[in-house]
Amino acid sequence: MEDRLRLLQEDALTALHQAADLKALQDVRVKISGKKGSLTEVMKGMRDLSAEERPVVGHLVNNLKDQFENAFIVRQLELQQQDIAAKLASEKIDVTLPGRKTATGSLHPVTLVTDDVVDIFSRLGFAVAEGPEIEHDFYNFEALNIPKDHPARDMQDTFYISDDRVLRTHTSPVQIRTMLKHQPPIRVIAPGTVYRRDSDLTHSPMFHQVEGFLVDERVTFGDLKGILTHFLNEFFGAGHSVRFRPSFFPFTEPSAEVDIECVICGGKGCRVCGKTGWLEILGCGMIDPEVFKSVNYDAEKYSGFAFGMGLERLAMLKYGVNDLRLFFENDLRFLKQF
Amino acid sequence: MIVTYNWLKEFVDFQCSPHELCDRLTMVGLEVDALEEIGGNLDSVIVARLESVERHPDADRLTVCQVNNGAEIVQVVCGATNHKTGDFVALAQPGSMLPGEFKIKKSKIRGQVSSGMLCSEKELALAEDSPGIMILPADLTLGQPVFVALGLKDFQIEIGLTPNRPDCLSVVGVAREVAALCGQKLKLPVSHICEIDDSIEQHAAVVIENSDGCPRYAARMIKDVTIGPSPDWMVRRLEAVGMRSINNVVDVTNYVMMELGHPLHAFDHRFLHDNKVVVKTAQPGEKFTTLDKQEHSLTTEDLMICDGQKPVAMAGVMGGLDSEVRDETTIIFLEAAYFNPMMIRRTSKRYGLHTESSHRFERGADIDMIPVALGRAANLIAELAGGDVLSGIIDSYSRQLDPVILEISATRTEKLLDIPVDCQSIKNLLESIGLQTQAGSCPDCLQVTVPSFRPDIEREVDLIEEVARLYGYGRIPVTMAMGTIDAKLPPLHQLLQKTIRQTIVAAGFSEAINYSFVAADSLAKIGLLTEDGRSTQVGILNPLSEDQAMMRTSLVPSLLETVSRNLNYRNSDLRLFELRPVFLTQAADEQCVEQLSLTAVMSGRREPEGWSQSTASVDFYDIKAVVEEILIKVNIHNVSFVSDTSQPYLHPGKSCRLMFGEQLLGCLGEIHPEVLTRFDIDQPVYLCELDVEKIIAAAGTHAQFNALSRFPDVIRDSALLLDESISADQVMDIVNSSKIRFVESATIFDLYTGKGVPAGKKSLAVRVRYRDLDKTLTEVEVNKSHDKLIRSFCQRLEAEIR
Repeated sequence: MEDRLRLLQEDALTALHQAADLKALQDVRVKISGKKGSLTEVMKGMRDLSAEERPVVGHLVNNLKDQFENAFIVRQLELQQQDIAAKLASEKIDVTLPGRKTATGSLHPVTLVTDDVVDIFSRLGFAVAEGPEIEHDFYNFEALNIPKDHPARDMQDTFYISDDRVLRTHTSPVQIRTMLKHQPPIRVIAPGTVYRRDSDLTHSPMFHQVEGFLVDERVTFGDLKGILTHFLNEFFGAGHSVRFRPSFFPFTEPSAEVDIECVICGGKGCRVCGKTGWLEILGCGMIDPEVFKSVNYDAEKYSGFAFGMGLERLAMLKYGVNDLRLFFENDLRFLKQF
Repeated sequence: MIVTYNWLKEFVDFQCSPHELCDRLTMVGLEVDALEEIGGNLDSVIVARLESVERHPDADRLTVCQVNNGAEIVQVVCGATNHKTGDFVALAQPGSMLPGEFKIKKSKIRGQVSSGMLCSEKELALAEDSPGIMILPADLTLGQPVFVALGLKDFQIEIGLTPNRPDCLSVVGVAREVAALCGQKLKLPVSHICEIDDSIEQHAAVVIENSDGCPRYAARMIKDVTIGPSPDWMVRRLEAVGMRSINNVVDVTNYVMMELGHPLHAFDHRFLHDNKVVVKTAQPGEKFTTLDKQEHSLTTEDLMICDGQKPVAMAGVMGGLDSEVRDETTIIFLEAAYFNPMMIRRTSKRYGLHTESSHRFERGADIDMIPVALGRAANLIAELAGGDVLSGIIDSYSRQLDPVILEISATRTEKLLDIPVDCQSIKNLLESIGLQTQAGSCPDCLQVTVPSFRPDIEREVDLIEEVARLYGYGRIPVTMAMGTIDAKLPPLHQLLQKTIRQTIVAAGFSEAINYSFVAADSLAKIGLLTEDGRSTQVGILNPLSEDQAMMRTSLVPSLLETVSRNLNYRNSDLRLFELRPVFLTQAADEQCVEQLSLTAVMSGRREPEGWSQSTASVDFYDIKAVVEEILIKVNIHNVSFVSDTSQPYLHPGKSCRLMFGEQLLGCLGEIHPEVLTRFDIDQPVYLCELDVEKIIAAAGTHAQFNALSRFPDVIRDSALLLDESISADQVMDIVNSSKIRFVESATIFDLYTGKGVPAGKKSLAVRVRYRDLDKTLTEVEVNKSHDKLIRSFCQRLEAEIR
């Protein structure tokens, strides 16, 4: 009996080991410990044994059964892992094929740059203001100290809608509209579309500007330099020299033009900066007392500064765009780059 | 304004190089636009002496010269005939670049080495034509650059002047700034006039009838002049500052204008009838022909210089053709005057005559410069044209202008500029540019007398600007503005615009920006009728072209142009939008409303091209999804899409209005095929047009939370057989309005017509999700609800269940 059991054990373990897949393994189990399995037969034959033999054989049979079940589980795990490994091996894909795309949109570079500028000034407490694009002569010129028949009007070639209405030539009228509505202290940034009657490689009859101004007690030219230097460092990154030089705008006094060391050549001189090493970025100045007079601010009590800059120019420098006309052609190959 | 480096040196001693000078001018507010060496860099063309000149052994017309360049003897082959041994010549050494991009190289000519070229005046751009090579004076230093040796080396400095600085429209004016920059004194030209014993009063008289237009008119006369060409130095100077030489008398007037800044005019005295000059405004419609041979019909606002009978010059703008100086002129009547800037500007604009003279008068000439300029010019004319200056000067100065006297406070200057200044330092700065100062009304103040050449200085703040400018903007400290910050959130209007922009970009659209002005016929192109409010456009009085003459009332035409252009570039899968104002007017009143519009177009494939992407094209429901997404993001619910045939540019069967209650928020649909044809577009395009102002007005501020149920849902799908005319909205309305218990949501998940569905019918599959907040629903509860829903469908829509 013991020999028979040993034989059975050897056969069973060999069969488990030889089972090639999970199905064959299951078959082995049925053959050994199924209802008509060989081990089951042995157990059935136990009742024919003597009382002395029964516990001894019973012990052996139980051992054999445990061993078989353990070996079965081990082999089953082995085969399952083999299966998974084989399945995974067969499922290999080409990971270099491009991802499945969805349509992606883009904001116009002028919008992106506008948002950049507005964000920088917002952090300094500037609020955004807007104004109409068809503007009264009063707001666009008169209130900004640009009387009719003044040579300063030549600085801005104007589109006329009627005798006293124009397409605004700058965003400065927003300054007037805002100051007429609010008392200082005031910090405002006003991006917008402006128009000048000029069209060639470097001029577009429609373009975008951002105007900013700050009015409070004891605002100095030093503050103007501070805020604008901060802005340029934020926008172009620190490390570019900035210079302020005298200029003229009818609505500021003193007036300044602000140059930044050429961001393309680092000041060595290139095509973009006209070999000067400097890029003209913005115009600014201390708000002229005449302007305060036209909005009924007390020029003895308050002082302030204003500045304005072209957004296409900023976008061209930031993104390296070399042709102004691209901004208004709306070629998707251009728009999708931003 | 162009000046030259050497010309400036006549009036001020300074040491800095041309480059340094330009930098400093820029930093003091005279922005230098260009610095050019006159004639290019010709430093390698040097003075040399011919040690020997022999005939070329193999060419009769050439000579072989041994040339002493100051360091060594070199051999040069030359084709000229006017040179001989011992002559001083201009030697262009190998490597020189002559005007006209002509590069000199060492070469062999007919077997003889030639190390350079002997130059003619023409080759050095010193003359229009020259018969042979240039023979130089024999006292020059060998080896020195020819231009240096002859004193011709000079630099053109082009300054972009701001309109407030008429004082710098002259060499002397710029020199005054240079003197201040370099701490030097300005040296003005001095004229000692030799007058003959014949008084101008005997030959001419001046009457000013319009003293507003002409506060001062002065004249001198020179007789027995001989009109001829100007000497070379004069021609070169004028050319260097961008003027053309005419004749010796006219050149003098231009020269003095460039030098001193005051425009002058020379008349041929013969043509001044009755020997007199009258300054008055023109008769209406009076005809006048200017020097440029243009005839003008005058108005009563034009200030004219007249003789006893008729106008002879358009004051301050241009002389008349009849009285101009010509070859046989012998007596010159020389005018110097001050004209009202505004009148000159208007006349100049009216006739489109922008001249060097009008440019100066409209910005404000220097009234005190008049006698000085007259004397200087009379002297030069006598010198160059050989005449005699009559004694005396006519100077009709009816209305003396009072000098401008201002006070500047050191405290206020310090307060505005944030720099440490006192009266003494302000005095030093202001006096350096020719302003006179004396003690002011308080110890802190300085009284300043503004000279007549600075009409731009009218107020204290103008003086403060001069202080800042001369002190140097670069030296002003950099500080951060203190004070109150009113940091509010941006207004809702701005935030929602941003939300809308972000949402549509997330849906795959690219933002376009088109010009706000369009062609007048752009609306006809999209089939808009003249009765449509949008057909009333605001026009531009002076457009650049007819294509840009009208402010747009719709973004549709521009965007369809954009689509068409992109299709030409073969960008055929496109999604574009513009979020820009349209300019709407009521026909009756002219007031224009600027209203933000969001217009978007899509066309081509739904999914980008790819190895496993669908190639299906977009349709109406894609653009509708975009609109729905925007509405969700701005928290607008309860809108309806109402079938519509009113937009002429949309497909009548595939378009709709977007309604929010009674309000029209916009429209969407497929572009009408005829409109596409007009724009040369050959694939379907879908469009949505939203009134952003109304959307923003209707928008909710934020989303509202709905509680989540922790209990399981039960789903019931039903296929409804419906008449074709029943809309999806009618089905959904029943779900939403019939107050059936436990309905959480309902979606239409299939639409089917075809086999199995009778003609005129469609099958719409609805999935209803039931759920309760507080408990798990029983089968009985769900069935009760769903049966009730199905009954509603059957009763109200005559639906059958498939």
